[in-house]
Amino acid sequence: MTNKEVQEGYLLEDPEYGLDSRYQSEKESETEAAALMEARLNKIKDLSKQQILYAKLMQLKIRMEGYLKQSVSDDRNYFAEFLESYIDSIYSKRNQFAKDMDITPVNLSQVINNHREPKDEFIKKLMVHSEKVFADVGNFDPKIWYQIYLHEKLCDTMASEEVWKPEIEKHIKYSQSVK
Amino acid sequence: MHIVATSTGAKQKIEIVPVEEGDFKSLRKERYFFDWKQERNFEMYKLRIPESNEILGLISLERIPSEWRVHIRLLTVSSENKGKRKIYDKIAGNLIAFAAKIAVSDYAEMACVSLRPKSQIAQHYIKKYNMTQTGLTLSIEVPEILKLINLYDHDE
Repeated sequence: MTNKEVQEGYLLEDPEYGLDSRYQSEKESETEAAALMEARLNKIKDLSKQQILYAKLMQLKIRMEGYLKQSVSDDRNYFAEFLESYIDSIYSKRNQFAKDMDITPVNLSQVINNHREPKDEFIKKLMVHSEKVFADVGNFDPKIWYQIYLHEKLCDTMASEEVWKPEIEKHIKYSQSVK
Repeated sequence: MHIVATSTGAKQKIEIVPVEEGDFKSLRKERYFFDWKQERNFEMYKLRIPESNEILGLISLERIPSEWRVHIRLLTVSSENKGKRKIYDKIAGNLIAFAAKIAVSDYAEMACVSLRPKSQIAQHYIKKYNMTQTGLTLSIEVPEILKLINLYDHDE
């Protein structure tokens, strides 16, 4: 048997052992891409509003989970950004979200614009709200809002350790001896 | 995400993480079917049990932002997980669902994962992963791609 025949034998035995899915030429890749795009555009235009919403919410969920796996510290406000995406995916007016959450539009705006930290109650309400929203989207753990908030705080605190630590150290004593 | 031990039906948690430079020396063709060094210029991920060094499956892929698409280039399970005597099931499914998560994370409702398998095995992917065929290419998009993610991306 030739190498090729051996490989094809394996593939027929188990199509998931050794899947080579590379296009065989640039030309094949381009022709296939054009045909696929045409077929997809036809399908996309038939998507319902609900299907688009579910895709946006799934995107948000995956991005939130991805953020928790990283140690990021930059100028971005992740909790506020995820919250903004969440609201804008579902609502055409943010005031309606504020109303549904039983909070004031001013309070919401301050959290989104990072002028105020979200209070415990705000996050708890958000957890309950998102539990309802994600019920049909799938596998969403609402406590992720808390995790995002705390993760961001931790990353920012540790990234700025050199700035805050010297001053804090001046005021901290250890009067007990373990010896 | 988890795989299933075929002998007991027990679920085993897994993680899918980027292939590291140090992995290449263990990626022998006899066990992982391809010469994976050739894929160094592409995104490559390995599936393993957390805290284990054993690689149970591999995938290389290409993000094509202009087409809102992630194309799977190569995919394999390790040799002991192929065919009727496989130790674990659902390795390939988890890798495809992982590619689907990248696509949805990048492109939301426009997301697409594509494959270009040999014609003899296309039916397997169409049936098992609910893919559609256009020319030689198989693909999965919204809404099916969301169902695929939900099928594999949970801890229960």
